[in-house]
Amino acid sequence: MGSLALVDRESPSGAGLAVQTIGVTKVYRVGHIDYPALRGVSLKIAKGELVSIVGPSGSGKSTLLNLIGALDAPTSGRVIVDGIDLRKLNQDKLALLRNLRIGFVYQTFNLIQRLTAIENVEMPLIARALPEKTRKSRSLKMLSAVGLGRLANKRPTELSGGEQQRVAIARALVTQPTIVLGDEPTGNVDSKTTREVLNHIVQVNKTFGTTFVLVTHNPEVSNMTHRMITLKDGLIEKEQYLQRMDSYTGS
Amino acid sequence: MRMSDVFKLAFKALRDRKLRSLLTILGIMVGSAIILALIASSSGLSAGIQTQVERLGANTLTVSSARQFFAGGGQTTFQLSQQDVNTIRSFQGISDVIPYYSRGATISFGSSSIQGMLIGVETSALFKMYNGLSMYSGSLPDSYDPSAAAVGYAIAFPTGSSDQLTLNQMVSISLGGSTGSLVFLVKGILSQYGSVMFSNIDDTVFISLQSAELLLKTQYFSGLYVITNTPEDVTTVQQKIESYYGTQVRVMSAGAMLSSIESITSQMTVFLGSIGGVSLFVAAVGITNTMFVSVMERTREIGILKALGYRPRQIMGMFLSEAILSGVLGGVGGTILGYALSFIIGGALPMSGGFGPPGQTRSSTAFTPVFTPELIAFSLLFPIGVAVLAGLYPAWRASRMNAVVALKYE
Repeated sequence: MGSLALVDRESPSGAGLAVQTIGVTKVYRVGHIDYPALRGVSLKIAKGELVSIVGPSGSGKSTLLNLIGALDAPTSGRVIVDGIDLRKLNQDKLALLRNLRIGFVYQTFNLIQRLTAIENVEMPLIARALPEKTRKSRSLKMLSAVGLGRLANKRPTELSGGEQQRVAIARALVTQPTIVLGDEPTGNVDSKTTREVLNHIVQVNKTFGTTFVLVTHNPEVSNMTHRMITLKDGLIEKEQYLQRMDSYTGS
Repeated sequence: MRMSDVFKLAFKALRDRKLRSLLTILGIMVGSAIILALIASSSGLSAGIQTQVERLGANTLTVSSARQFFAGGGQTTFQLSQQDVNTIRSFQGISDVIPYYSRGATISFGSSSIQGMLIGVETSALFKMYNGLSMYSGSLPDSYDPSAAAVGYAIAFPTGSSDQLTLNQMVSISLGGSTGSLVFLVKGILSQYGSVMFSNIDDTVFISLQSAELLLKTQYFSGLYVITNTPEDVTTVQQKIESYYGTQVRVMSAGAMLSSIESITSQMTVFLGSIGGVSLFVAAVGITNTMFVSVMERTREIGILKALGYRPRQIMGMFLSEAILSGVLGGVGGTILGYALSFIIGGALPMSGGFGPPGQTRSSTAFTPVFTPELIAFSLLFPIGVAVLAGLYPAWRASRMNAVVALKYE
């Protein structure tokens, strides 16, 4: 794969920001009827920040996450990820950006069922054409980091929900992304596993300064983030700073 | 992405849906096998017929009465007699006219029994009729010895039997019907020769013309071998005989037969090849269908791949490589299957009955299929090409899928 160095960085306004959205709207058209999912969202997320997005169903949380994740394009407005304006990227460059900078964790884990845990973790590295040996050792290291080293050759069907979600986290982190996006990452696991998953997230955030944006319904999740953004009807209703970033990252 | 990774993943995807993949591959295999087997067999058949016809010699014609039926001496409207031999001998450009009698026969000695033929002919003319035929041992029977015979190589040395015929041994020949069986003393054994004009010399017992006349109680010949002075005389002699006898006789020459056989076999090759083509087309539809189902089922997986940063072209490549892999496996399997199949066709479809001069239709001759490197390459590569074409559109559809929609797919 090529490098994103070809892409102009937005500067200096984008410096230090993992994500910036400027007046972002998204309208879904079903038949002849328009459904506005986002109606002008502007926000800034600093590098190393741990952010939760909350709000009732249909408030536009997932839509916002998909736009930040470069999986979808806004109807209007701009999305800038790690200083790169997504409007300027074609499909291939967007794919490259996702591969190099973004990790995804989903409520339903989204593992490929016929592949083993380690093969699933390897997938983003295969797209980069890394040699198999490098891939395997990096993936195994990452699986061990989430405590699944011994289950590397199990298939998703042989793993519990919590284990599957940890495989998904390992897959999201193995590329050393700038930002990890989680869509209800604890939505399908019990409370004990939720705590485990959260501990991993906090630890990675602290250790590597990885930015996390988590869409959630679970107050347990939002309570341990730095900032909670509440969406309602496609607009930001309120933002609450819960903890200071530096109190987390130590120093 | 590395090529090796693409195919490894494709292989895992195919293995995940074993039965469906196998059925798809089977479809391709059958198409490829049919093309290979039919083309190889028909060119083998054509080559076999050509060798046989060419053995006849460029300056030889055969004359037989038209509409003559066999086994038990069926009725004919016209029969060749000594008078006809004299008539044809008087034509210009004729070197010799050799009349013969022939009957289908069961030849037995010891525990061995062979379906073959009995031919009565002026024994001194035998080597003139069959270029390159020679004695293996002994000598040709004298024309005045009614109990002497020369036998073909396969009669003396039957395959799959330890019994062997030696000189001065008796052979018993049964012509079927009420004739009963005749016993001859083997005076000579002919060397291995093969088939001429659809009759296998190696399965034939030769007796003198006089003996045959006596034993078969007939004065009407089964046919005449007409040898012209030069190959150029063949056409004019053929025309002369045909204009003299009209439709009462059938005149055949190597050249005329070759051209008609060539046109039949080339038509047959085209026809059989297109049957194979149709079956591959059906296989292609099968691949496309399987691929579409696969793309549908794996919509979510495609969404995951997109989220993980796979480019559209990579996703297309991944799906296309599954089709290619099916094509490769189907092509290889089909070529092996077709190779085996063509020998089965070759054995089951011997060139027997109906084609040759009357009276010489009993013995059969199997043929060997012909495999050219081009044909093998074709049967290996064509299915791959078909698979690529069949997989192109489904793979393209996969690559164009909307990531967000795909990830939500249940």
